[in-house]
Amino acid sequence: MSKKILAMLSVMFVMVFLISACTPTPVEEPTEEAVVEEEVEEVEAEETEEEVAEVVPVEISYWHTMSDPETEKLDELIAVFEAANPGIKVAPTRFAYSDFKAAILTGLAGGSAPDTARMDIAWVPEFADQGALKQLDGVLEGFDEIAAAVFPGPLSTNFWNGAYYGLPQNTNTQVLLWHKDTFDAAGIAVPTTMDEFAAAACALTEGETRYGYALGGTYFWAPAPIFYAMGGKVVDDAITTAEGYTNGPESVAAFTMLTDLFNEGCISPNLLGGGVGTADGHATGFYSMIIDGPWMVDIYAGNYPDFETNFALIPTGADGTTSSVVGGEDVVVFETTENTEQALVWVSFLMSEEAQKMLAEVGVMPTLAHLTGDASMPAHFEIFMEQLETAQARVPHPKWGEMDGAINNAFQRMLRGDQTVQEALDQAALEIDALLAE
Amino acid sequence: MITIKNKTNQSVQAALFLLPGFILFLTFIVGPMIYSFRISFFDWNIIFPEKSTWVGFANYLEAIRDPIFRKAVLNNAVYTLVTVPGQMIFGLLVALLLNQQIRGKAAFRVIFYLPVITSWVIVSLLFEYMFSGQAGLINYLLRDVLHIIDQNILWLADPVLAFIPIHLLGIWKGVGWTAVIFLAGLQAIPIQLFEAALVDGANRLQQFRYITLPMIRQTTIYLVVVLTAGALNAYISNLLLTNGGDPLDQTHFILTLMYEETFGNLEFGYGSAISYLLTIIVFIISVIQIRLLRNQEQV
Amino acid sequence: MGNHRKNLLSKSLTYFLLLAGTVVVLLPFWYMLITSMKPQAYIFELPPRLWPSEVSLINYQKALQTDQFGLYFMNSLFVAVLTTASTLFVSSLMAYAFARLKFRGKEVLFYFLLSGMMVPPVMLIIPQFIVAKFLDLPDKFLGLILVYITMNLSMQTFLLRGYFEGLPKEVEEAALVDGASRWLIFWKIVLPLSRPGLAVVTIFTFLFAWEEFPWANVAIKETTKRTLPIAIALFQSQHLTEWGQVFAASIMGIIPVVIVFAVFQKYFIRGISTSGLKG
Repeated sequence: MSKKILAMLSVMFVMVFLISACTPTPVEEPTEEAVVEEEVEEVEAEETEEEVAEVVPVEISYWHTMSDPETEKLDELIAVFEAANPGIKVAPTRFAYSDFKAAILTGLAGGSAPDTARMDIAWVPEFADQGALKQLDGVLEGFDEIAAAVFPGPLSTNFWNGAYYGLPQNTNTQVLLWHKDTFDAAGIAVPTTMDEFAAAACALTEGETRYGYALGGTYFWAPAPIFYAMGGKVVDDAITTAEGYTNGPESVAAFTMLTDLFNEGCISPNLLGGGVGTADGHATGFYSMIIDGPWMVDIYAGNYPDFETNFALIPTGADGTTSSVVGGEDVVVFETTENTEQALVWVSFLMSEEAQKMLAEVGVMPTLAHLTGDASMPAHFEIFMEQLETAQARVPHPKWGEMDGAINNAFQRMLRGDQTVQEALDQAALEIDALLAE
Repeated sequence: MITIKNKTNQSVQAALFLLPGFILFLTFIVGPMIYSFRISFFDWNIIFPEKSTWVGFANYLEAIRDPIFRKAVLNNAVYTLVTVPGQMIFGLLVALLLNQQIRGKAAFRVIFYLPVITSWVIVSLLFEYMFSGQAGLINYLLRDVLHIIDQNILWLADPVLAFIPIHLLGIWKGVGWTAVIFLAGLQAIPIQLFEAALVDGANRLQQFRYITLPMIRQTTIYLVVVLTAGALNAYISNLLLTNGGDPLDQTHFILTLMYEETFGNLEFGYGSAISYLLTIIVFIISVIQIRLLRNQEQV
Repeated sequence: MGNHRKNLLSKSLTYFLLLAGTVVVLLPFWYMLITSMKPQAYIFELPPRLWPSEVSLINYQKALQTDQFGLYFMNSLFVAVLTTASTLFVSSLMAYAFARLKFRGKEVLFYFLLSGMMVPPVMLIIPQFIVAKFLDLPDKFLGLILVYITMNLSMQTFLLRGYFEGLPKEVEEAALVDGASRWLIFWKIVLPLSRPGLAVVTIFTFLFAWEEFPWANVAIKETTKRTLPIAIALFQSQHLTEWGQVFAASIMGIIPVVIVFAVFQKYFIRGISTSGLKG
């Protein structure tokens, strides 16, 4: 009797497995490992079966967080790459930004991290510190040439502990966006200095129905352009201390200006959380000024086709210079890859003028300095390229995420009146110094 | 002799019936739990586990001393104390209403169950949108329609007020489920009891107090256990509405903090320790509640 | 006469309360529906409208066009259906053993299994992935399905055990005397009698598999094998949430679950009232 049960049970259980194996995608592509194994075997048997080796290319994975149009362009890019490199196939995977880190970490834990990825510049030191990334200088052929050809700011985000762990695939920065109709109606000129900016922000505010200026939140990226333009610093250049920098006089002055504007009602309260988003608010005239990146052009073209976007440089600080914050993504190779050689070929291709130009067509800013002013670049890149000349990178440190949190909380405390600007930044400096000491 | 043989036979049969399930259970729950337990005693290196350093109970001690963790525990406790009774009271009310001879019973049942079968992600986004501080529906209704407030409220910007949408969401989403379970309990009450009470001249309130409530006691206790565990494990609504802890790390739930430490700050050992503390809390509370359930059974 | 009026009053109150509840429950859904028909420019219009100024299906078109929405939908359906079927099978097997067979350590094993209900699933993701990798499951639907079955096992076994215990024993005992095997009894007698209980499991499990996000996010990297919740997450870009598209996609995503619930709901209450859920 029990034999029969056993038989039936095992049949049922096997069936469950079998059914799940019949996937709706008809063609099961060979898995990565299988390809590698075959490749190895074929290399051994190269002399006899030369033509077969060409048919089975090495597949390398590439994870990213690109937008819809960028993802489409990436497919074209991969086609170009694969045509030029018949031995390599690229398998891209797209993630939502908010879930990207979890996916990479879980992959690393399970030994199935991607071969290559395009990640937020702020993450590179963190992953490098974990030993997850391959050092590229001295490994990638032609690294020095590429490093010399790209903007230094974005390049610096790949530097950790004496080595480079990535290359800046694309860059961006934030500039001022001003709403033409409200400026014209009020008869106000576009501000070029911080004093003019503060005055304009209040002049363009009308109670709760219109705000002169709005930030997306209190995380460091939002106030960073104003912070840097006014001479603020988070840490010293050697990244050893925050005391005297995070809470230095320039940093305090920047946050004081923002806090004062907020208290006067000239900055929208949405930055505290849960209000009208800056992109929507600006297009509808609710926010006269916002500070944001080059992607806004595409976002507005897609969602607010009638809206005319106007850019200006970040207003200058007391010393008469403008500045902003460097954003963008770096391309990295993971330490765990089994196809280093092919991964490096892909990285070099992504840094090539051809690839950079193709992605520029969908609004991705290239990092190759000589493309500035290139006729094939979208017109709005010009102001961002100009702003990039003075833009600064955030602190390239594995603990940057937590430092960002410390400044974020300090900003919240001063806006809520829990602490003075000085007190809040003093506390943030202490917290950041503790992180640096770890 | 026969019974012994029968029993061995049954044990073999039981093993076969249990085998597939327990293979899965051991592989995907027990194994990972042990792994996670081990991690919680290390400063864990996720890529090179062999490079991890043993830290003993340091992660646990750090959590207990961490004011943000304590605040998260408090937030979970308040959430539990608000949403569990909230879901139960409204759920029972709906169940009592639906347990009558009324038209459109099936339609009401589907309607009240709609929030239950909608994913947490979707309803959280929906509440975030409705509770927008500047152009949200809720502020509009409160200010311009009902005239209860004279100024927009920035719900999600306030460490205390942010819990209003989170709590309301918890109750709104759970009422349908609670109602269905109560309804099942109500339908299991023998109708004769009410008939007898009617003969004795008991009014509705008395019937409810002396028949309905005692008869659904088991259901009630079951709901308390399950809803409490659910409330302590809540995190998606919080993750989406306040990014976990915004503002000022004041609105964390235990699991959003765990998520941030693990996937945001790469503190895997610390994250595991936090999850284990939560598991222990849930376990202790459940055991206490199940004890209550058992005692009731004996009575 | 007075009694009649009292009845009428109580009926009216019942309907009034139910309708009030309906408004509270449906208002957010209504708002989601009309938002899904708005272009982005009207997303934060002031004052917010409860009646759309213009109805446009552009968000639905966009959602359907982007990134193989249809494929993800089918993937989700495939995974959810198989998860549900397998969970029904595996957990009813276990539940039958716990409900009807005598063996040593039954109570201990049962509570051991129930402890699975107390574990927060997010804490297990990384170790689960390591196990899945060891079994060569990443990027396979099987990897999703096996984990989904497991996450449901404790709850559904508990529920079905209660249901099976409530079934009359006489038929089974008669069959046993006639020499029927346990398997035959389980398959031919117990399962057919348990439709309401199985309906409850179906609804719970299908819903779980349909909306699960964190595991699907890490376990599936191949774009063509992703599930719907991942696709919906991709609508929220870093810089702007396209609320209309998110809600349009969400509404389309709710439909299968509503269908499953509508089909099985007539068994639902009966299933619960006779299952382990009644306590």
